[in-house]
Amino acid sequence: MPDTETELVRIGGVSREDPAGRARNLPPPEQRETVFDVRDLTVSYSGVPALKNVSLQVHRNLVTAFIGPSGCGKSTFIRCFNRMNDLIPGAAMEGTILYHDEDLYGRQVDAVEVRKRIGMVFQKPNPFPKSIYDNVAFGPRVLGLTDGLDDRVERALRQAALWDEVGGRLKEGALSLSGGQQQRLCIARCLAVEPDVILMDEPASALDPISTTHIEDLMHELKRDYTIVIVTHNMQQAARVADVTAFFSVEVAADGRRTGVLVEYDATPKIFTNPEDKRTEDYVTGRFG
Amino acid sequence: MRVTFQQELAELERALQGEAHLVVRSLRGALGALQRQDVELAEEVIAFDDEVDRQYFAIQSGIQELLARQTPVAIDLRLVLAMLHVNLHLERAADYCVTIAKLVKLAQALEGDASLVEGLEEMGNRAEEMLVVALESFADRDLERAELLVDLDELIDTANRRLVHDVLALGGNPELREWGLRMILVSRCLERIGDHAVDIGEQTAFLITGEFREFTDASHPDGSSATR
Repeated sequence: MPDTETELVRIGGVSREDPAGRARNLPPPEQRETVFDVRDLTVSYSGVPALKNVSLQVHRNLVTAFIGPSGCGKSTFIRCFNRMNDLIPGAAMEGTILYHDEDLYGRQVDAVEVRKRIGMVFQKPNPFPKSIYDNVAFGPRVLGLTDGLDDRVERALRQAALWDEVGGRLKEGALSLSGGQQQRLCIARCLAVEPDVILMDEPASALDPISTTHIEDLMHELKRDYTIVIVTHNMQQAARVADVTAFFSVEVAADGRRTGVLVEYDATPKIFTNPEDKRTEDYVTGRFG
Repeated sequence: MRVTFQQELAELERALQGEAHLVVRSLRGALGALQRQDVELAEEVIAFDDEVDRQYFAIQSGIQELLARQTPVAIDLRLVLAMLHVNLHLERAADYCVTIAKLVKLAQALEGDASLVEGLEEMGNRAEEMLVVALESFADRDLERAELLVDLDELIDTANRRLVHDVLALGGNPELREWGLRMILVSRCLERIGDHAVDIGEQTAFLITGEFREFTDASHPDGSSATR
């Protein structure tokens, strides 16, 4: 109990700190800086739309989660943010994605430069069969950022909360690490080129619960410096880590054709305590399918 | 280690202790108003309840969010559930302070009895002490100290019964009788605040042992239900 010694003649005022002290409370929308502005995006594979008419904004220094059932287009969607779909034959995109107010798919934009600014971590850890050091140093070397490379590698490993475990054995092979360590190594590799955004496609689904906790704690740390977008089929993971959550669903047409749509996009607590859309509620409560 | 989750739990518990501090201030204000027949202070106590309510709702919604996002289990789950109860007990205790303040206003123009007011002040101090013991033993996870609340409550209950006799002994003066009736209600409010402190102690026991039990209840007034 706080001090109760002195008897108050008057009750006096109250300092208005946020009572529950919820530090991760969202800034109001007008104070958020937009990183991606997606406008009426439709993605098709071989002429068949996989995802249609999606509009939303991704904001700086937040963790944004995309959730939804299989086939809802969430992975397709996140791949649009670093032009990974460019690499898939037959993939086509309509609509626009502005990245810091510039057309991400503009003719003058270099897809390689995009992937440097917008890093990606995949479901399965995919380190190169090289040393721990060389894995992290790979990106900087490709980009010619070789001045102070040792410091850069150490900084990335520290940011990825891996330094304490591997700092003394950087020359060892990356494949000798555990799955969870390999995934953090991949995050370090991504951080070494100092990206602006980190995209994560099911980053913990191949990991055990302890490693998953590491990755989730790491996301909370990293969002101070980076903007994080995560796709997860693990709803509770989105609930735990995300500031804002977008729920995607599947629409089935009369001819049986299935297309992903964005159903609801809001602050994560709202999505998990009082969603607006019945489809969201059915999904988060497990009544769906 | 789920760092964020543990931080959120700790923040909620801090907010709960903050709410308790507000309630103690409210009780002090109500007692001061009673002692000095200070209607202005009574008005302040009534208005101050908005602050307690604000804190109450903030904690309630913080707990809702935590449950929805973090799926707490084991001791974390017990802490969340205990906080949900303690939050309500504190809000109720603050409501009794408001009732006391309203009774002070109703009784302000009436002739009173100084020694009886002294008795109420003593009860009020005991109620405050009980709130402090309840919240400190919750914070310290101190079961032994929480169980002391039963003995402290006995003192307040005795004082409450004695006060009824004292009011009856005030005699036939109608104004004094009306005043006395108001004071019986003040006494009842203080006694109820003590009960809420005991209930908070029971939440401490639940938090520590994982078993819910009433320290005492009406059907086992000797406290025999307290054996596990």
